[in-house]
Amino acid sequence: MITAEQKPLDEIREMIAPYKRILVLGCGSCVAECAAGGEKETGMLASILRMAAKMEGREVLINEKTLERQCVKDFVILLDDIIQDYDALLSLGCGAGVQAVGDCFPEIPIIPALNTEFLGETKDQGLWLENCLGCGDCKLYHFGGICPLARCSKHLLNGPCGGSVGGKCEINPEIPCAWQLIIDRVEQQGGFERLEGIFPPKDWSKKQGLGPRRIIREDQQR
Amino acid sequence: MGSAHMNDRERLTVAFFYCRNIPESGETERQALEKEYGPSIRLFPIPCSGRLDPVHLLSALEKFADAAYLIACPEGACRYFEGNRRAGKRVERTKEMIAMIGLEPERLGMVINTKKRPKGLGVITAEILERVKSLAPSPVLKNSRVEEEKPL
Amino acid sequence: MSRFKSVLDQGAFAVTAECGPPKGADPDVIMKKAELLKGKVDAVNVTDNQTAVVRMSSLAACVLLKRQGLDPILQAVVRDRNRIALQSDILGASALGIRNILCLSGDHQSFGNQPQALGVFDLDSIQFVQVVQRMRDQGAILGGERLSRAPDVFIGAAANPFGDPFNFRLVRLAKKVAAGADFIQTQCIYNLERFERWMAMARERGLTEKVHILGGVTPLKSAGMAKYMKKKVAGMDVPDGIIRRMDGAPAKTQAEEGLKICVETIQRLREVRGVKGVHIMAIDWEDMVGELVERAGLLPRPN
Repeated sequence: MITAEQKPLDEIREMIAPYKRILVLGCGSCVAECAAGGEKETGMLASILRMAAKMEGREVLINEKTLERQCVKDFVILLDDIIQDYDALLSLGCGAGVQAVGDCFPEIPIIPALNTEFLGETKDQGLWLENCLGCGDCKLYHFGGICPLARCSKHLLNGPCGGSVGGKCEINPEIPCAWQLIIDRVEQQGGFERLEGIFPPKDWSKKQGLGPRRIIREDQQR
Repeated sequence: MGSAHMNDRERLTVAFFYCRNIPESGETERQALEKEYGPSIRLFPIPCSGRLDPVHLLSALEKFADAAYLIACPEGACRYFEGNRRAGKRVERTKEMIAMIGLEPERLGMVINTKKRPKGLGVITAEILERVKSLAPSPVLKNSRVEEEKPL
Repeated sequence: MSRFKSVLDQGAFAVTAECGPPKGADPDVIMKKAELLKGKVDAVNVTDNQTAVVRMSSLAACVLLKRQGLDPILQAVVRDRNRIALQSDILGASALGIRNILCLSGDHQSFGNQPQALGVFDLDSIQFVQVVQRMRDQGAILGGERLSRAPDVFIGAAANPFGDPFNFRLVRLAKKVAAGADFIQTQCIYNLERFERWMAMARERGLTEKVHILGGVTPLKSAGMAKYMKKKVAGMDVPDGIIRRMDGAPAKTQAEEGLKICVETIQRLREVRGVKGVHIMAIDWEDMVGELVERAGLLPRPN
């Protein structure tokens, strides 16, 4: 899932300040799962912004709506009938959602209400962890299913740096050393010697070799 | 503007969201309380404090209330295990949000009923009203109240 | 050719020290440090923006040291440069007569004075060693393209016998040796018992036959410094015995006590089979290196 967190309210208020008719647009997918931009959060943000406007005595129309997905055009076109009522969109989608909606309505400024964070998992209620870089060349098989690129602070592919102590990362004792996790996991599965070879440099061309990536699947096309 | 208007503005409206398991919170008691306090209170029974979505608190502040409170069962006495504890954290976060736009966080709150000899809804609402009486009328409602009064 | 390499080849117990470039463009700082170290050590490590703090470039400072007649060891970290820049710097260093390279990961950018910097980490330190070794021995860069002239460098890597997990520390060392490291400089040693255990494992795997291991030491200036290193520096193992000993000395003579501990450590390292030298990291205390080397009985240095 793509995770996100709401931007500071002051930053949002500054960005929406020039506009008088604002649609606060939630997204029911990833950002709803991480409690940043779903229907509830969208309702709260819209309510807070309306209250702030009232306190300042400003006449601003602030409505809310939550789409199932902002990053899929089929859902975004559901706004076709109401979009003309607004002079700005405040999106609680991830960066992809913000851009997809913006592309559908290029005449209307779109403002991001969230900071998109990472590809991650919901580890526990209220805890989300980054564990994938989307590198386009998955090597999880070699590392016991734990990604050293995403989860080691130095992206080390050949074992822990000298700062791994007691299973913790030197740069943040709150986070586990990815290499300790990898070694423990691979040992448990009986393949320690697999980690003894030198893992070659990462092929980053799969991520950024030809500019922004796209996936084309003819069998999926109209 | 007359003095009647001033009085009107000085009277606070408080929204109460309360768990149905709070003693003396049935339909009869609710009607009696509404009769007693008139427009000063608005009562909203909910199945469990844990079910309260913070957006309801904000909605109350936005539309009609000077303060909005959640009344929960004592710790360990929640029918839905720990609904009340989670509710407490959500109320805290919502308080932080209103503080960011310059509203006093005291306009929102959660009161947990006492474990020993739990109080009835009437007693708790009276206690909360006492607690919030020093608050000024909400600046959120200031302008809308003036508007509402225009036709009069 | 690297003087450092020839000292090791002769079988002499090698001595290296560390020189941190200044936080400025002033070459005199390097000249002064060079004067202090001349004749006292075989080679001088020049740190590469250590602790992620911006300083004069390691390569530039190496050239300044070389002009003063010292044999510099260019420290290069993968934190700030991708594989294009790293390989390019190796060629440049060799062209400028720098004959020793120490390939490192580098301290994470969050520790330094540019915490908003992008951390590169395109290669890791082991891959970096392998890249340099292939440049030198196969005359080719990553991907196989030929060089017009191969760099002539003695290749080093770091090892921390005190990090976790212990069972993997030897694997890391073995990987660095397999990647082509000629020499290893270790993290500061205070826990000799653990270091000796690590060395025994290295000998068992035949690694001490393939690589020159230099034990790292840092003289403690005060009991406070000892405690700080124990508490705050991840992967630094300062046993309680050392702390007690520093604490036991009166404030005035704590520095002297730190030097004594350091001399004793060096002397004990000389007895450990497979240890080929000592690497002295005298943090903000370069003027003490000469005395330390002398008291450890390591003067004069071989020509």
